[in-house]
Amino acid sequence: MADIGTTGGKLAVRLVTPDRVLLDATADAVELPSSAGYLEALYGHAPLLAELGAGEVRLHGGAAGEQTFFVAWGFAEVLPERVTILAEEALKPEEIDRSQAEQDLQGAQRAWQEAGDDGQAYDDANAATREAEEKLASAK
Amino acid sequence: MANVLDLRRRIRSVKNTRQITKAMKMVSAAKLRRAQERAMEARPYARMLVNVLESLVRRTDLYNDETGDVMHPLLVEREEKNVLVLVIAGDKGFAGGFNSNIGKAAQRFIEERRRQGQTVDLEPIGRKAIGLYKRRYPAANYERTEEHYDNDLATHYETIRHRAEPIEVAAEHSDLLLKATFDEVAKLGRTIVERYERSEIDSVYIVFNEFKSVLSQRVVVETLLPIKKLGEHETTSLQEMTDDEKEAAAKAARESGVSVDEAETTAMDEEAKKFGTADVDYIFDQDPQQLFRNLMPRYVSTQIFHALLESVAAEHAARMTATDAATKNAGELIDSLSLTMNRVRQAAITKEIIEIVSGAAAL
Repeated sequence: MADIGTTGGKLAVRLVTPDRVLLDATADAVELPSSAGYLEALYGHAPLLAELGAGEVRLHGGAAGEQTFFVAWGFAEVLPERVTILAEEALKPEEIDRSQAEQDLQGAQRAWQEAGDDGQAYDDANAATREAEEKLASAK
Repeated sequence: MANVLDLRRRIRSVKNTRQITKAMKMVSAAKLRRAQERAMEARPYARMLVNVLESLVRRTDLYNDETGDVMHPLLVEREEKNVLVLVIAGDKGFAGGFNSNIGKAAQRFIEERRRQGQTVDLEPIGRKAIGLYKRRYPAANYERTEEHYDNDLATHYETIRHRAEPIEVAAEHSDLLLKATFDEVAKLGRTIVERYERSEIDSVYIVFNEFKSVLSQRVVVETLLPIKKLGEHETTSLQEMTDDEKEAAAKAARESGVSVDEAETTAMDEEAKKFGTADVDYIFDQDPQQLFRNLMPRYVSTQIFHALLESVAAEHAARMTATDAATKNAGELIDSLSLTMNRVRQAAITKEIIEIVSGAAAL
């Protein structure tokens, strides 16, 4: 397996959004909200590509202590010594606008009611609901 | 001949104008630097997204083995009957030929498409682009119908488009440029993808001012859909910068301390290139086909986002150059007015002396 000595067994973690590189740090472990459920990557993880759903990215044992970020849809590449996260939207917990998220949630629920027989609209409404709920859950 | 007082007044007014244009130039230069930074910061994400897509393309079949059909609707090339053209201009004027150049280039493109018998939908982005088409072409007419089934338990909505003219304005985006957030762009991207998938439109083009650096800009038309080659911008140049324009832009940039070179590739860009391309066999958490389907619309959005950011930078660069030229012109005008004023004043003095002298001689 990978040589632990070179980087001291720390994962290099990057969080990239369409606007900027939000985070460039190291950590012992990273939790990722994959669209099929949470997964945790440690140093030496097998190469993996995963689609992320809405949820929290959590860094454990980093220089800045525990860090969490809310992400809504993205991609993660896990390599033995590196984790790169592409997130369409990424926010620190304190950046989350609670009232806006609540409005989004109501809007999504309304959209769900009005979806009628349109399958796509249902899926969209469900995704929006999930995103708003996760956002509220990770807001501080 | 104008008297000294009038001239003095004019000089004062031109000086005020010069002060304003100078301030505008500074503001534009600062905004340009910020816009360039934003465009830079957006690059890693775009690059990585393309990498993931390419990596998926290598792993999944894009064509059905049995029928030979393309597996993703955004890759399907159809005969172009209905064309959607996004035109990105600015929100404000005072930017030299920026808005009119884009308008002219877009017009040429639209007319060429019309000659080929295609119908054109326009979606102007930015207030100046909207103003350009508002009077010229009618807005598209949509009708939303509601149908109730099973004693109102289910409702079916449908939006029907009634096309009256071959060229129509399908939608306007007046506030997209103001913040230029990815969120807003993604919404636009999704609606475009939906329309393409429903075969409402057969191709999508985007006309905008490409910005590589202050010295390297041109108005281009880029093919957004169908996607022919991932990660490459298929562009046709419609208008290049002239040498005079380049010189003026270089001068303005030098004086405002804006770099004229193309942005350097940063360490992050290099890292981004490697994303998803490691020579290993990745485990896929989800079905690659499914991943591919979810990624494609996002790819379209990043393309639009990229065009938008470049256009914003180009607009500020154009305004910087234009206001720099205006400042220079004002300076020249002040010089020539001062000269005239001094001449008039001197003439008046000379005249008075002559009057006194000849008056004294007559005594």
